[in-house]
Amino acid sequence: MALDATTVTAGAASGAPARPGLTLQRFARRRSTIAFIMALPLIAVIGGLVAWPAGYAIYLSTLNRRMTASIGLENFAILLESETFRMVIWQSCIFAFSAVVLKALLGFWLAHMLHHIPTKGQRIWRGMLLLPWVVPPALSTLGWWWMFDPSYSSLNWILNAIGAPSVPWLGEPWWARTSVIIVNVWAGTPFFMIMYLAALKSVPDQLYEAAAIDGATGWQGLRYVTLPMMRNIISITVLFSLIVTFANYDIVRVLTNGGPRDLTHVFASYAFQVGVLSGNIPRGAAVSLFMFPILAVVAFFVLRGVNQRNREMA
Amino acid sequence: MSATAATPSAAIPGLGRKIGSLRKERRWALITAYVSLIVAAIVMLAPPVYMLVTSLKTSAEISNPVGTPWIVRNPTLENYGALIGDPMFRGFFFNSIKVTVLVVCVTMVISVLAAFSLARMKFFGSQVLATGVFLTYLVPDTLLFIPLYQIVGNLGLLNSTWGLVLVYPTLTVPFCTWIMIGYFASIPKELDEAALIDGANWMQMLTKIFIPVALPGIIAATIFAFTVSWAAFVYPTAFITRPDEMPLTIGVVSQLIRGDTFAWGQLMAGALLAALPPVIVYAFLMDYYIAGLTAGATKG
Amino acid sequence: MAGHRLTRRNMLRSGAGVIAAGTLSAPMVHAQGTGGTIRVAFWDHWVPGGNDALKKLCADWGEKNRTNVQLDFINTTGNQLQLTAAAQAQSRQGHDAISLSPWDPGTYADQLEPVDDVIERLVAKYGPINPIAEFLVKRNGKWRGVPATSGTQAKPACVRYDLLQEHAGIDVRAMWPAEGKMGPGAETWNWDTFLKAAEACHKAGVPFGLPMGQFSDAVDWVGAMFLSHGAHITDEKGKPTIKGNDKLRQAVDYGVRLAKFLPNDVWAWDDASNNRALISGRSALVFNPPSAWAVAKRDNPAVAEKCWTVPMPAGPAGRFLAYLPFTTSIWSFGKNKTATKALLEFISQRDSAEFTTNTSGGYDIPPFPSMADFKIWETQSPPVGTISNYPLKPHHQAKYSIAFSPAPPELAQQMYIQALNTKVIARVAQGGESIDQALGWLERELNNMLRG
Repeated sequence: MALDATTVTAGAASGAPARPGLTLQRFARRRSTIAFIMALPLIAVIGGLVAWPAGYAIYLSTLNRRMTASIGLENFAILLESETFRMVIWQSCIFAFSAVVLKALLGFWLAHMLHHIPTKGQRIWRGMLLLPWVVPPALSTLGWWWMFDPSYSSLNWILNAIGAPSVPWLGEPWWARTSVIIVNVWAGTPFFMIMYLAALKSVPDQLYEAAAIDGATGWQGLRYVTLPMMRNIISITVLFSLIVTFANYDIVRVLTNGGPRDLTHVFASYAFQVGVLSGNIPRGAAVSLFMFPILAVVAFFVLRGVNQRNREMA
Repeated sequence: MSATAATPSAAIPGLGRKIGSLRKERRWALITAYVSLIVAAIVMLAPPVYMLVTSLKTSAEISNPVGTPWIVRNPTLENYGALIGDPMFRGFFFNSIKVTVLVVCVTMVISVLAAFSLARMKFFGSQVLATGVFLTYLVPDTLLFIPLYQIVGNLGLLNSTWGLVLVYPTLTVPFCTWIMIGYFASIPKELDEAALIDGANWMQMLTKIFIPVALPGIIAATIFAFTVSWAAFVYPTAFITRPDEMPLTIGVVSQLIRGDTFAWGQLMAGALLAALPPVIVYAFLMDYYIAGLTAGATKG
Repeated sequence: MAGHRLTRRNMLRSGAGVIAAGTLSAPMVHAQGTGGTIRVAFWDHWVPGGNDALKKLCADWGEKNRTNVQLDFINTTGNQLQLTAAAQAQSRQGHDAISLSPWDPGTYADQLEPVDDVIERLVAKYGPINPIAEFLVKRNGKWRGVPATSGTQAKPACVRYDLLQEHAGIDVRAMWPAEGKMGPGAETWNWDTFLKAAEACHKAGVPFGLPMGQFSDAVDWVGAMFLSHGAHITDEKGKPTIKGNDKLRQAVDYGVRLAKFLPNDVWAWDDASNNRALISGRSALVFNPPSAWAVAKRDNPAVAEKCWTVPMPAGPAGRFLAYLPFTTSIWSFGKNKTATKALLEFISQRDSAEFTTNTSGGYDIPPFPSMADFKIWETQSPPVGTISNYPLKPHHQAKYSIAFSPAPPELAQQMYIQALNTKVIARVAQGGESIDQALGWLERELNNMLRG
């Protein structure tokens, strides 16, 4: 009995402090429920319109051409054996990496130049330089295509005017690749520029003053103050741009349609050609799935780096 | 003792030299900056300018290969007149506006709610979802459009702007959510603790504190969603084949490029008219956009 | 301003016509209890006003048959028409009938409603359909659609006769007069003569504008050139016939030699580049339907009045004319198949076909050889008779051809889209490979297509 009593009192004693714990728990449960409900539309969009179709694409890629039977990974094997597709992998990487590097460098340079001039002049310059990014790319690429046109090229007119020979912009493989990259860099540099410009502005002036007092040159200031402060934004901008550039379709389609000799195809345009136009949907799905692992690896490293630095800062 | 005395005397001439070279350096930096910017502006503006020049030419002048293509000899507005007078072209404009406005609204509701929940409230799997949001861009639209065609088709929304309203959020929501997560995360925790103590519920906290404070970020995300849905190309190409349901980008491309015979003047005029709304939005809201976008990204 | 008012009025009129047909017919249809709407997707004609013929024909037919006919015109820019067909086949819904590009009736054969009864009645009236259209559309013993008039085109040579006379000493107007017979020297119009002329014009700075890229203009003319050398890449089963194929080597070799005299960026030309080359006055010859000439007539009349259309050159295996036919097919999942069949039969009648061809300024070619005598081809000018030799006529002693025939359609379509014939030439002429290497590549590529 006494034992019972003690147990009861003990229970009551332990129950009393437990009550706030219980409400807290309930509160937390409610809070997480609300949170889940708030995130539900997002989950629906990602699940229903991205994840599910993507899974369906994976399923498609295992089918045969007529989509009547599964052939496992045969489509991937066939692609890897095809020299055209191996070129496409290589070209996609050249295209994406060189375009992104150029965009990053030019964007950084322009952001720096903008940052240097007096603040009240910056707006107008920024506005002008942002224009390529504002025009829908499908339409501005048409403008470029018209400038590259073999019979009416206005760029060749300029070249001829300064005594240089005409360039077969889209006819010769290396020029065609260069042209595609030029258009992509033209359209994408402003994005880097504004991201970097904002990052530059967020670096406190005191850091530079401190560096200057320590006797740092402009270059050292850039190397040891600016870049470290911008590392996160650089990696995120690069990652975002890399993904968009890898998946690019409009520019190649409008400018070269993959030609000459498939030497300007990237994953998306080749997938379109093989999958939709030639009517081999499973193999087309396999082609576009190839870019997924490449991007996933890049994304993994960049995001891990960002998270680490965030943790260090916090 | 002697060292401390020596330091200022040595430093003063050094400092003087440094200030002189700094001024010179600064002037050179300024010149370099302006030269770079001028060159960049020429390169960046050349294609739109050439499009403008072409849009002011008659097709006879465009077809004539003699002389410089960069100037207009007999400017004409007939290309613009023909487009603006064309009810079909005005229809494209209306469709674009309708789709874009709806998509922007849907996107902002979804991403603000989700970002708030992911940045502040945490639930099982919220961390994974926050990272996953960005990773959805690893699945590009060129891969998604075939399976999506079936979804849209099963809902009976093919050849309808509503189908576009349904699928465009795959392009806009991830990035907007991600910007907003970064933006909300930068709001000090003390603010919501204070609000909680005052007895505010989560919804009030979002509408009374987070949305007003994060307004520049919301404007930035809105502009992003606007740009992306205005410029979307792959989905409308695949889902819309009727001119009366086409948005502007695909409408201009499909109605003005006619395979064999290109109406370059009209095509360029159409492209410029199509680019006008985003340009206007940027002209007025550029500062918000830049501030908001980068605040989200720097902190995310 | 006047022009703009005119187009607006036209648009209003045609729009009102369709609407009127719809509202007039709707109650009647309900009264009769028949399904009242047909939706058809036609190829969007790029000759200005080219769609008007089908709009009017369908509105007339709809009014007479109390059926509401809804038309969508979908163009092939960015392959939109092919995309639409692929997506509709995949999701088994969409239009009742759709225009299909050359190989698609074969690709989607099991999803297309056979229309043998329609074809039988048409053939009884107008004689046989040309063999290429039959080869493409008749699959597994059944007609999978009605070969169309609107959009169906051939690609003979559109020649600047003044330039060819001046630089190569060839008078194409004498060779191929607008009189339904061969002129003096027509028998010398073969690929060897063509090569010499190409060289001369290249030297004179007005090179032939022959695309060598991946668009249909390029694939079509190179396909005809291959066939006229007797060069086949596969047999009718799809088995590669590349190893030890001397005719194929000859054809590739010819293409390589010819490419030396073409502009250096033809490898990336699209279907409009050759038109622009002609219209700008910088090219002496293109292979194209009369649309290039028609645009020149509007934008650069001085060029247009010096153009003359002649058949393609002959090769060792005969004369072949590049042909790009459209087919209007009925989806098996379509809802109103009987009415759709009746509509297709109506627009294939001679009167309808002639109306269609006239509206397109002579661009469209009906699938019946018996209809190669429409007046429009004789009367178009300047100069009078310039497109008289545009459709294939008996005195041309030629056959219509489609690249990669006789391969089975699924394979041929892939080869066509991937432009294997122009690429094999490009690998040698531009990529510096030997013919053996290029043919080896071709065989490997082909085997990859056959797998899976």
